Amino acid sequence: MTAAQWGGASALFLASAVEWVEAFTIVLAVALTIGWRRASSAAVAGLAVVAALIAITGVGIEAAEAYIGWIRAAIGIFLLLFGLRWYVKAIRRYAGRTALHDEAREFAETREQLESAEGRAAWVIAFKGVLLEGLEVWLLVVALGHTLSYGAAAGSAAASLVAVIVAGVALRSPLTRVPENLLKYLVACAILSFGSFWAIGGLVGEQVAWPLGDGTLLLLFAAYAAAGRIIAWRSRPAGSTTAGAQA
Amino acid sequence: MSKLLQLIFGDLPNVLSVAVALLVAYGVSRVVPGAAGAVLALLLILAAALQALQANKRAARRSKGH
Repeated sequence: MTAAQWGGASALFLASAVEWVEAFTIVLAVALTIGWRRASSAAVAGLAVVAALIAITGVGIEAAEAYIGWIRAAIGIFLLLFGLRWYVKAIRRYAGRTALHDEAREFAETREQLESAEGRAAWVIAFKGVLLEGLEVWLLVVALGHTLSYGAAAGSAAASLVAVIVAGVALRSPLTRVPENLLKYLVACAILSFGSFWAIGGLVGEQVAWPLGDGTLLLLFAAYAAAGRIIAWRSRPAGSTTAGAQA
Repeated sequence: MSKLLQLIFGDLPNVLSVAVALLVAYGVSRVVPGAAGAVLALLLILAAALQALQANKRAARRSKGH
């Protein structure tokens, strides 16, 4: 595998893990209310929809392989839209301007919401939670599947799902120790790097825009990571001495 | 559906930031092709800084209003 493929696979694995951890927290809260059997059936139903979407788009992308330049540019632009959003959010968390994502709080809020819900409503909450987090994974697989093979990208997302389920079932509690905010920041930098590389590479030609080739991805990643920390440091509230996110 | 669109594209400042950065980088590529990528990266970092600061200002205005 090339450096770009390793980067793509790692970014996809970590980004998916972040989404699966959030989904697991919701399913766990529901399971403690309506039982593991029904909560699991909701999770499986949500995952089935995501798997179907991944399969359908995989076939579509393969059919459109002749327009690879355009596909590359379109995927790059999509990654920029997705990555910039994550990047700004992560910067604000580091600056202490946005609350850190807290799985324990998310768990408590979902439990509170479930107290007044009926069994069927609880099932829907688990289904929607898995589906919404899974949709983000689907988007990432479509986008980053281009660096690896589509199958390898889907496999990477599936591997992270298995890792989160194994860890979650073993602990039977919200995965609060996962450094979710740090992971999101690193993944945002990786997504922006790939997005920049493909978007402008697809529009004007990769060798023209990036004379250093794949190695540029590492430089882009370093630039985004360093700049993000500087922006976070500069936009910290006055009087704040500690980092917003130790995550 | 709106949730899915929001998931894909983000909010208006996000879409505008990416669009402007790409347009400028594309324009630069017509004159200095090798600099287009660097310009794109710089503009995106600038956009992130502006978005982060704008959000800070909005939050400060809200807290003054209360």
